[in-house]
Amino acid sequence: MGQNSMTFEELWEREERQGLEQRLRQEYPAWRRRRRARRVALASVAVLAGVALYTFHLPPSTRGYDAVACNRSGIADSHWVDVAAKTLKTTAR
Amino acid sequence: MKRLLHILLLLTMLAACSREVETAPLYRQYASRPDLTVAQVAGFQLGDTVRVDVVILVADDSAAWQGLKTEFDIRPSEGVTSWLGDIDNPARRVKRSEVPLWRAMAVHEERTLAFYRVATQAEFDALREYQMEIMGD
Repeated sequence: MGQNSMTFEELWEREERQGLEQRLRQEYPAWRRRRRARRVALASVAVLAGVALYTFHLPPSTRGYDAVACNRSGIADSHWVDVAAKTLKTTAR
Repeated sequence: MKRLLHILLLLTMLAACSREVETAPLYRQYASRPDLTVAQVAGFQLGDTVRVDVVILVADDSAAWQGLKTEFDIRPSEGVTSWLGDIDNPARRVKRSEVPLWRAMAVHEERTLAFYRVATQAEFDALREYQMEIMGD
């Protein structure tokens, strides 16, 4: 009775809805996975680009030197920068 | 794909974290000497735009200083001695035109040798200007 009383349009609508629901049930998890992978890829590319920019195009240091290496530990970098400056000062006189 | 990106990310971050001073052969030559304290200042700022690398050798005792003086053919025993040294063999004196070179300075009282790497005429001028500024202070 119920089904027979439905118009063609109602039947069409119901079938369409059910078909859509079924399709969504099947495809939604895969779509979510793809969306997640896409977001991870985009985030990774953004982070990689940021790190690469930082690594290869560091702005010049504003502290008067870029880096210090020393064969002894426990000596502050600033000590060696001072020595470099002081030696020039001594020889300028 | 995701795993590959994670590996790439990890490698790049490791590379960024391990940014170390690219040490000069002169530094590496003396860094293993037990009687010397050796340092390298990369990008020592001389002016607004000029930066040079500086290698510093400090003798821990007078015997080590005597050894350095002999190695670099430093004759005076007091005050300050300076010269222009060959980039591969800083003990060999060279002319100003032979860039790149080391501007070497020995301070006897401090038992310290400082080598400023000069690669261009502009860097040479900046080094002199820096000294002039210091004299003016």
